Amino acid sequence: MANNQKNYDFHKESHTEPLEINMGPSHPATHGTVKFYLTLDGETIKDIDVEIGYLHRAFEKECELQHWSGIFPYTDRLDYTAGVLNNVGYALAVEKLIGIETPERCKYIRVIASEMGRLSGHYTNLAACAMELGALTAFLYFVEAREYLWDLIESFCGARLTHNYIRIGGLTSDLPDEFPESTEVVFKKNEKLYDDFAKLLLKNRIFLDRMRDTGGISAELAKEWGFSGPCLRACGVPFDVRKSEPYLVYDKLDFEIPIGSTGDNFDRFLVRMDEIKQSIRIIRQCLKQIPDGPINVDDPMWRQPSKDDINSDMESMIFHFKNVIEGQKVPEGEVYHAIEACNGELGFYLVSNGSGSPVKCRVRPPSFPMTSALPIMVKGSLLADLIPTFDMINLIGGECDR
Amino acid sequence: MIGVVDLIEVLVKIGFIVVLLVGVFAPVLTWVERKQSAVMQDRIGANRADVFGFRIIGLLHAAADAIKLIFKEDFIPRGADRTLHTLAPIMALIPAILAFSVIPFGGTYTFGDREVNLVIANLDVGVLFVFAITSLATYGVFIAGWSSNNNWALLGGLRASAQMFSYEVTMGLTIIGLVMFYQSLSMVEIVAKQDIFWHWGIIWHWPAFILFLACAVAENKRIPFDAPEAESELVAGYFTEYSGLKFVMFWTAEFIEIVTISALCVVLFFGGHHIPFIADAKLIDCFSSLGANIANLVAMVIGVTVFVSKLAIIIFLQMTIRWTMPRFRYDQIMKLGWKMILPLSLIWIFVVGLGMLTNLIPRI
Amino acid sequence: MAITVKKVDRNVDMTLWERMYIPEMICGMLITWRHFFLNFVGLFLEEVGGKHYRRIATVYYPEEMPIVPVAYRGRPVLVRSKNGIEKCVACGLCEAACPPNCISIIGGERPNGDRYPDSYVLDGSRCIFCGFCEEVCPKEAIVMSHDWKNLCEYNRSKMVYTKKELLYPERNLQKRFDVLRDKYFSAYRYRQSPNLKTEPKE
Repeated sequence: MANNQKNYDFHKESHTEPLEINMGPSHPATHGTVKFYLTLDGETIKDIDVEIGYLHRAFEKECELQHWSGIFPYTDRLDYTAGVLNNVGYALAVEKLIGIETPERCKYIRVIASEMGRLSGHYTNLAACAMELGALTAFLYFVEAREYLWDLIESFCGARLTHNYIRIGGLTSDLPDEFPESTEVVFKKNEKLYDDFAKLLLKNRIFLDRMRDTGGISAELAKEWGFSGPCLRACGVPFDVRKSEPYLVYDKLDFEIPIGSTGDNFDRFLVRMDEIKQSIRIIRQCLKQIPDGPINVDDPMWRQPSKDDINSDMESMIFHFKNVIEGQKVPEGEVYHAIEACNGELGFYLVSNGSGSPVKCRVRPPSFPMTSALPIMVKGSLLADLIPTFDMINLIGGECDR
Repeated sequence: MIGVVDLIEVLVKIGFIVVLLVGVFAPVLTWVERKQSAVMQDRIGANRADVFGFRIIGLLHAAADAIKLIFKEDFIPRGADRTLHTLAPIMALIPAILAFSVIPFGGTYTFGDREVNLVIANLDVGVLFVFAITSLATYGVFIAGWSSNNNWALLGGLRASAQMFSYEVTMGLTIIGLVMFYQSLSMVEIVAKQDIFWHWGIIWHWPAFILFLACAVAENKRIPFDAPEAESELVAGYFTEYSGLKFVMFWTAEFIEIVTISALCVVLFFGGHHIPFIADAKLIDCFSSLGANIANLVAMVIGVTVFVSKLAIIIFLQMTIRWTMPRFRYDQIMKLGWKMILPLSLIWIFVVGLGMLTNLIPRI
Repeated sequence: MAITVKKVDRNVDMTLWERMYIPEMICGMLITWRHFFLNFVGLFLEEVGGKHYRRIATVYYPEEMPIVPVAYRGRPVLVRSKNGIEKCVACGLCEAACPPNCISIIGGERPNGDRYPDSYVLDGSRCIFCGFCEEVCPKEAIVMSHDWKNLCEYNRSKMVYTKKELLYPERNLQKRFDVLRDKYFSAYRYRQSPNLKTEPKE
């Protein structure tokens, strides 16, 4: 009997071979930004090869051709679900290189803006995950919540998706006068939608069975692969850049770091769900604590002069022309600064030679390490498990491929 | 010897069913699914198609879709089996319509000396016939997946055949208790016995109803059991490579199956055309002042209307399930079918048998 | 600073209630039904005049227009002042600041010595609506209008806006100028926080 032999190879004996299949880039689950080369044994994934780079737009090269301030619109397109966060990360890196400190009010507004970015990123991610597991109604509830949030973002920065809100040494504009009230209205609506979303999914056994114990990774492996953000925190490692290296005013704010225990998809989902609550809490605190004051540094080198100054003051005007045409001259040196983006640690490594453009602008994309660890997370599981795992990694093409 | 009048009667009934299914239910259901889901999800939904400025809250989209799909290119991928690829949607559509032939959509009415029974074929084994016919739909689905020469379609076809075969067994077993209760396999007889409200299937057999509905939704491959066509996993599953009119056929088959399942539910569990507490004879009596023939006609119209309204409610329930639930994983579907629903339905058969033996459940 | 950690509730031991699929399914359906009926009633009431009963978030586009906030960045336009000529003096700052290089200007000189743009071409298919042109312009001559309609074309060559298409009367942009002067560029000065209605300090 062939079955009794020790080195019995089923595939060889039965003259079958694994099914090799291309998943993506034009596949509903891969959003056109990634390709999986799968080797399937029935429905089980035997091998997976992740191919990224379908959304490569030469961001880092493009930055070398722009002035320091002209890079902001490009950073919007890194993690396009949370544009403000990238703005903040880049601005903080440049400010660290220059060595300037923004006023207190500016810091608070930056925290508000970046938490709104985090909210929008998490809403998008969780909604997309729900949709890909078939729960389209839950998807649309969070998309609706995101829509209200974007209305809010639009009211202070003028755009819904590509915010371009932060500047070196400050912001483009202050919050509108009625902002705290409208924020409260939006948060009330969003909390209701959040409850509906949570009730639809988190108690539903179908959803629980799909998410629990799939795509798990141990804390040690996660650290080795360079995980950060919700995926690392789901493993039980309380690492959050906002707490471990507080930037802006995060050390003055009271919020919790949600962590999971096993590092599977369900923990990642819950961690993100809880971060939405924490973000709303942070924004509410900020709106209470926010002081009066200027929003830009009062240094002519690092701010746009007012139109009145340009019209009335010759020096201002000449300085403005020089600043715009040659670019603001950032001192020589190199710097790395990381912030907590909605997928994890978003780092900017900048090198300056004292000219108006960076020599090198390298981004540490948070979703890249997770994507590279995808094979060890899904190997041996079913094809259907790839979907929630890939969703919870939250590969954003613009950020991962740059 | 079949008389001309008999022939006309059967043709009228067939015409009514086909028009109702293909002409009314299938297009309206596409509209209902869009509009209901939209309103449920805080949206407005499709309402742009118009004829001379009349939009009729988006109802014309069904017609617009049909026209668009009919004129689309009929694409057959390279390497596909042309014959089977063309045959598959037909094989999926025909059983769906055929299953309706034994479902009574009204009672028995007398016009003069002629008895009209509102069912196309009054088979003694109607229940078995429905299951036999619906299991044929598996072939259409599987052949579609196989003949498309596409890996996703093949995976979808495999999943579909495994799922449909497993759930057929279970679906049959879920209503054995009901058949024992009514002591008949004939649909007409089952409906006739539900004349009294306390004899409705749902009252005595509500666990069977839940199990049956779960199996039926799984049989129809809709969320939460839509693993064979899971959009985010298998692109579109077994009909990935279908376009134009063939795609319409699959689509129509799916919607007609919804109607068939709902009709089965109505007939087996919700008393068919009966209004609660009002028996057929009583209803005809109410209108007896108009003359026997007209009274029968009025009762017939009321009966069919009641049947269709019940149908609509069950369809609405199914649609809500489709828009509320996430999707099962493929192995979980199998586990649910074989390890939960099958034992539960067997237990239910046992319980019903025990109940009838001890006269706790009445014999009717 | 101590890290406050909160462990998420994984709900590992499902109650029998949750294990049975059906009860939670019904709970879910109650939510969707609630949305359905509230929206349905809202849509119906809206038809008969009760606009504020509407709960649906969709903007019903050609019939309804979205209301954009004052900070909104729409199509960049050249300001035409009251005497009918453009404010632009062809200094080229917007050209230099534009990240995707979508602006190209050829300057000219009027008989009285004033500079003006002989040709001002803005490639709408390249523009990313970042608002840098508006930010750097010393003359308030190019601003982001609230114009967002009909920006799409089937032909890219139609999206290249020349001076004629870009000019926009000044009186329609007054709101935007106020925003610019008030918030955009005097931001490094002292500003009162909207929620703390305190007197500004000296």
